[in-house]
Amino acid sequence: MKLLFQKLAAPLLFIALMTTVAQAQESRIQTTTLDHLAAKASQSVDVNMDERLITIAAKLFSDKGDEKKIKELLIGIKGIYVKHFEFENDGQYTAADVETIRTQLRSPSWSRLAGFTSKADGNLEVYLMMTGDKVGGLAVLATDDRELTVVNIVGAVDLEKLAQLEGQFGVPELGIEPGKAKPKNEQ
Amino acid sequence: MNDDYLWDKSGEPDPEIQELENILAPLRYQPTPLELPDDVVVRRKWNYFPLLAIAATVLIALLAAGVWLRVRTEKSTPPQEQAKSVPSVPSVYKETATPEVVQKKVIRKRSYVKRRESQEAIAAKEQVMLALRLASEKLKLAQKQMKSPHKIG
Repeated sequence: MKLLFQKLAAPLLFIALMTTVAQAQESRIQTTTLDHLAAKASQSVDVNMDERLITIAAKLFSDKGDEKKIKELLIGIKGIYVKHFEFENDGQYTAADVETIRTQLRSPSWSRLAGFTSKADGNLEVYLMMTGDKVGGLAVLATDDRELTVVNIVGAVDLEKLAQLEGQFGVPELGIEPGKAKPKNEQ
Repeated sequence: MNDDYLWDKSGEPDPEIQELENILAPLRYQPTPLELPDDVVVRRKWNYFPLLAIAATVLIALLAAGVWLRVRTEKSTPPQEQAKSVPSVPSVYKETATPEVVQKKVIRKRSYVKRRESQEAIAAKEQVMLALRLASEKLKLAQKQMKSPHKIG
């Protein structure tokens, strides 16, 4: 039995490690397909923050007031990735560009929390990745005639803390509460 | 008399050799199987060499990566920054590396590293704020749509 355990320990540990890595990678959306749009955009934002950078940034937030809340929120986050493009004219990006992102969000691990279409504000989709009963990732895809935004937060986004953040530091109220968040997979 | 008997027992037997053979006969090799006592426990000896080799390889790779990164970081330091961080020392003092000079150099290097780290941290904080601001803008929009009667998602 002991020998069996010794033989199985290493592969099991390796599998567990790989599963964790794969899960972290799974909640990371690949947005490099949108990089070519930066040349066409009049304004673009590209935020690529891994866990190390987030840890460094978190040190600069104070332990008081609103900054403390942001600091606490950042603890569970393993990555923040944002791609935002603003264009001067319509039709600068194609449906195929958006589809490269949406295809990744159609995987079973992602659940669509909400999706809206309006003439004034364009399309907006909010996705959550659930790991058990915890949030393992958040993705927002917003498209307008002259705007394209992809926000991807990797890691345990604490909805309770996020809800506390709402309305502060420019973070608005969304109405997400831990008990109420029951995303339904719309595949 | 030749030595063939000594060589391959083919020649004329030598009585003296035969006598010696008879004396040493009980000590001749006897092909018998090895019999171990019952109380002897045979244990498998673990060969840790492959594991050690892998660990050593990983360690060497990490060390090499660390050295490479350090060299790269030092190389990428802008010349102006280097010039600022190491002020010119008069030639008279150049050769004498007194403890004070060494201490000053160490302090200067530490402050340079701290300055770089704080610059990186400030940039990272700005990026976090920018990302949160953008995310919040979109989430605010989602909240607005949730409340409006035209929601379709």
